[in-house]
Amino acid sequence: MRKAGLLGLFWMFLVSEVQAAVDPAEERYDLVEGQTLTVGCPFNIMKYARSRKAWQKLQDGKEPLTLVVTERSPTNPSEVRMGKYTLKDDPDEAMLHVQMTDLRVTDSGLYRCVIYHPPNDPVLLFHPVRLVVTKDSSSLLTSDIIPTTRTTEDPGLFTTKYMRRDMTVTQPLPKSTTVVSSPDPGVTFTNATSVTRVFISSIVVPVVCGLFSKTLVFTVMFAVTQRSFGGQTMSHNSDF
Amino acid sequence: MLLAWTLLALLGLGASCNSVVPRGEWKAQPSECSQRLQHPVRYVVISHTAGSTCDCPSSCEQQARNVQHYHKGSLGWCDVGYNFLIGEDGHVYEGRGWHIKGDHTGPTWNPISIGITFMGNYMERVPPKRALRAALNLLECGVARGFLRSNYEVKGHRDVQNTLSPGDQLYEVIQRWEGYRE
Repeated sequence: MRKAGLLGLFWMFLVSEVQAAVDPAEERYDLVEGQTLTVGCPFNIMKYARSRKAWQKLQDGKEPLTLVVTERSPTNPSEVRMGKYTLKDDPDEAMLHVQMTDLRVTDSGLYRCVIYHPPNDPVLLFHPVRLVVTKDSSSLLTSDIIPTTRTTEDPGLFTTKYMRRDMTVTQPLPKSTTVVSSPDPGVTFTNATSVTRVFISSIVVPVVCGLFSKTLVFTVMFAVTQRSFGGQTMSHNSDF
Repeated sequence: MLLAWTLLALLGLGASCNSVVPRGEWKAQPSECSQRLQHPVRYVVISHTAGSTCDCPSSCEQQARNVQHYHKGSLGWCDVGYNFLIGEDGHVYEGRGWHIKGDHTGPTWNPISIGITFMGNYMERVPPKRALRAALNLLECGVARGFLRSNYEVKGHRDVQNTLSPGDQLYEVIQRWEGYRE
């Protein structure tokens, strides 16, 4: 019975560990110089239709750098451009479209979409975006290989999750330049640029590290409770 | 021990996927849709039909046909708009399914989401537990089969469009779901 309680504690640690690792997970986008990054950041239409939105670059030890921000009180779809950065706010569709054109290796880094409403803290939309831009090389699929029919990523592709993410040479990227276009006017969502295989590698390491520390805490707690309850007979908990 | 757990897990997965009522079974009209969804899908949009409810297979099959008739006949769509429909009988009815883009939300969300609707009006009542369970099992199945990302996100219809759907009561319920993200 006490064992069950401790076991429950253990599972709690396990689950909370995975949860922590999963939720703020970055979405990684691997692209090649010259390509365009397209990200769709949804927002809650009831809360943020009229709010300003921004695309920011996150920098270690510094304030996030706002690269482009929407106009005040956008009610209709609006577009704002700052050099290579474009923001399209579609309040009726609850989507913020971000575009970064003509990517360079120096564009690599961590970015995010936010609700921009100083002095309030910005609200993160979508996931932090880890952009990795590499030099064009013949070992990567380049944009001249464009499938003419839209391919669906079938479950078989899940096996690539287990490949190391830096093995860019042999990774199949069937979606790398496919645009998910629908006949619906105006909005194309380039699903192609997202690479989902970061999931395993960015989860396993923090989870394992976290597990070690949590196991240590758990062990200490276990030892402490053993010591404080050791010898005492639990006479009143018979109703389990 | 591990083997037992694995078998149990596999059994569970198989069951959630196998219990969807296929189109033929509810006597659906053929679909004329051709646009496909790219897998794995990231988003799930939960709505309600705001129409009649049903609580047994025969009435739910009829209701699914009614919804399809309205969408195809009156609205001129290629098929019933939803990817899946849930009845109060606790069954999932196959609409456009996992592979075909639905017409349940709007031009931005249809190509990137699975639209699941609850047949009924849930402003003032909640669907029965078996219906909610059916929906959650369906989502589990979607992940297991690779149709949904493992970190898929559930949105209420009203989160992404100006609408009352999925109804106040059902909206409150889904906000407590594991995958819900506002």
